[in-house]
Amino acid sequence: MSGGILYRILVIVGFMSLFHSAYSAAQHRSYLRLNELDFLGLPLDISIQAILSLYIIVYGILQVSGTFKEIKASAELDNKSWGTFRNIPSFYMFAHRGKAFSKFYNPVMSKSYLEEVE
Amino acid sequence: MSNKNNSENVAYNELAIRYNLSVVEYVRTSMAALSGCTAGLLGLTGLYGAAFYIFAVTSLWLMVLFKAGFKTWKSYFISRKGLLTNGFFGHLFTYILCWTFIYGMVHVY
Repeated sequence: MSGGILYRILVIVGFMSLFHSAYSAAQHRSYLRLNELDFLGLPLDISIQAILSLYIIVYGILQVSGTFKEIKASAELDNKSWGTFRNIPSFYMFAHRGKAFSKFYNPVMSKSYLEEVE
Repeated sequence: MSNKNNSENVAYNELAIRYNLSVVEYVRTSMAALSGCTAGLLGLTGLYGAAFYIFAVTSLWLMVLFKAGFKTWKSYFISRKGLLTNGFFGHLFTYILCWTFIYGMVHVY
């Protein structure tokens, strides 16, 4: 349900406009009844307002309802590199024996040191 | 011919298909209710109301295609004919409900 606040306001404005045109139509109907005229159809401005506000609401709802997703299975994977897939956290190694080759490495010989760490 | 084979072998992401269809379903349900309200407001009776429903469904279809892009809709939906016809009669009942209700509210009482 993403979508800007602008479109929500648009939906609310459209609803108010639709309600206003409905009220206008009801008033027109009561005016006809009081003057004992026949109903030949709504005035053009009320019809135009009703249809326009319908389109405004539907456009707003269409924007509020969320963006479509790509349906191709590979769509999400296109932007990722092979390194992402070979990344397996369970196989991370933090105590590689290769560090013994470093100049700055001073080996701990006694076993008691390991027990102190734990 | 080779192009046709390609389109048959495409793998789809089912979750994305379902998500897109649920978005469209949401919009269609609102459209059915709102166009029913509008039809009742306009005082349409009989076949004019049915014609208005067809008009509303078709224009909603065009709006959905506009949102997806007239050239790029294929990356969001499998078929656009299905987009037009899915749930046509199911939403017709929502439409009639709102139509008669608002017609009664505005024009009868």
